[in-house]
Amino acid sequence: MNTIERIVTPFDVPPGYSREDFLRRMQLRNRRVRLRRLWRGAAGILAILLVWQAASRILGLELLLPEPLTVLRNVVTTLTVSDSHWLYGPNIYVHLWHSFLRAMAGFVSAALVAIPLGLALGRITTLREFVMPGIQGVYPIPGIAWIPLAILWFGLGDAAVVFVVFATVFFPLLFSAEAGARLISPTVLDAGRCFGARGVTLFFRVVLPATIPYIITGLRISLGGAWRMIVAGEMLASQDGIGYLLMESRFQFRAVDLMTAMILVAIVGYATEKLIVGTIEKRTIEKWEVQPS
Amino acid sequence: MKRRSVLAIPAAAALSGLGGARSHATDRIRVGMLKPNIVTVIYWIAVKTDTFAKNGLDVVEKPFPSGQTSVGVEQVLRGDTDFCLGATGEVAHVDSRYVEAGKPSPVALLEGGVVGGTFFCLRDDLRGKSLDELRGMKLRIGLSNPSSYHLILFRAFLRSRGQTTDDFQWRFLTIGGPEMLPAMVSHQLDGFMHDALTATLALRAKAGFVFMSNDRGDMGPEAKSLPGTGVYGSRPFMEAHPDVTKRFAQSLRDASDAFSAAPRADMVAMMAEWSRQDPAVIDDLYDRFDPRVGMTPQAAQAWWSILGSAMVARGEISPKLTFTDVFDLNYLRPRS
Repeated sequence: MNTIERIVTPFDVPPGYSREDFLRRMQLRNRRVRLRRLWRGAAGILAILLVWQAASRILGLELLLPEPLTVLRNVVTTLTVSDSHWLYGPNIYVHLWHSFLRAMAGFVSAALVAIPLGLALGRITTLREFVMPGIQGVYPIPGIAWIPLAILWFGLGDAAVVFVVFATVFFPLLFSAEAGARLISPTVLDAGRCFGARGVTLFFRVVLPATIPYIITGLRISLGGAWRMIVAGEMLASQDGIGYLLMESRFQFRAVDLMTAMILVAIVGYATEKLIVGTIEKRTIEKWEVQPS
Repeated sequence: MKRRSVLAIPAAAALSGLGGARSHATDRIRVGMLKPNIVTVIYWIAVKTDTFAKNGLDVVEKPFPSGQTSVGVEQVLRGDTDFCLGATGEVAHVDSRYVEAGKPSPVALLEGGVVGGTFFCLRDDLRGKSLDELRGMKLRIGLSNPSSYHLILFRAFLRSRGQTTDDFQWRFLTIGGPEMLPAMVSHQLDGFMHDALTATLALRAKAGFVFMSNDRGDMGPEAKSLPGTGVYGSRPFMEAHPDVTKRFAQSLRDASDAFSAAPRADMVAMMAEWSRQDPAVIDDLYDRFDPRVGMTPQAAQAWWSILGSAMVARGEISPKLTFTDVFDLNYLRPRS
């Protein structure tokens, strides 16, 4: 049974249509909508590229704002360059891999602490009243402000960068889990209890699934934050990674390399979001057919 | 009200015309510099000894943070400053990008310091080890930025020995100059390559020793005369205002003469004020650092042959880049 079949019940079929005809019409309409979104998105991107190309060419800004084709060529060259012809130390894949490892270390450790804590805070009022004011007091400190302290505590190197990522992504994860757990409808909980769910069973069968959409949103926001912060952290306390590459290319006055690094961050960030959050989403929300309560 | 405005316009025009006639006395220039930073202290000496005013210049100060050496060339390119005092490597980088694109180089080094001022300090327990012994050790060396002048110079020295930094097991870590000493004391760094001030602070704290210094000749005899401090400007501005450029360069040379002639205590006070350091630290530094400018064509050539070729070999600058793309010494008056 596909998604449409699941959603459309016999009561939704308008008069004068057979169920099959209606499903076929819906599928055609959905395909048209998808195509329309695709071409509109492509047209939007193309317009941006054209404006970018024109600005670069007409204003003679090739060195400050390299043309999109030049940047694209450089992305390809960068991805195929060998170590011996590379100005920025290790191969680009090593830079990306190190950044990925640091980002994931900060992100996963924050998720392991923030999500259970958020769920507990959301469900236990007494704990929430004790803990939340302190957390809300620390929250406004920007992630980048932790960098000097992180260097002082952990020294120059990976630990400082991982800590800064942790400090940045911890709060969105915590707040989303806490809100999700706090806002579960009492009806849902009562329904669970009516079916005999108590304690751990109630938590895993009712509370966690009902909170999942919030947690997924928190994960999505946090992963973007992790990539943003990894770049800032590596600029100050690292000798490799994509942030280091950005900093070095700035000092070399190579705008094309700067933009290449930015595009690579965007690609890797998007891919990790799809891979990690997308997978979690598939295995939870879609599998359990969860709707926010 | 309207009539008053109409009358005000010719009056203002007349006044500005008067200003134009006396332009030699009131030329306004915008000068960028690393601040606080000991290598740019000659600017402050020029301000304090009135050499800018004596050369008919009104200077608008445009400071940028220490370590952010690329900001200087970026400011010049954007037209936000006319001249800058800072590092020299970035000038070659930016000129190279323009030459690679088939355009004329936009920035030129017109003056430089009389010494290099590169100090490679290591923590005390590494004393007595040779460079070859240190090569295989996993040392963490602090630099103020990834394309630091000090690193370029060190690479050039290694090149003369047929080596590169890849032959070393060291990690080069970017860290602000003020943080280098705390990082070394807390064993987060094994050493650093930076200026005379940071070296002096490390020596005073007994945290390390000077392993190599170009002023001492450790990086080759030619490297002794390399200009560590660069004075550069926008080529279009310099070509449009050659007289102003000459007077600006002369102001810094006059300040250098003032430094030579002034009592040590006076200069220590000025240098302490500019670098925001304790005068006792500056007094210690005094014999280790020469803030004067006075680049000779020979020093510029030495810079080009040592540092320029090292940067070409590493791919930082284009082989198409020439000496005259980077240097323009035509605004310097020959020393009598």
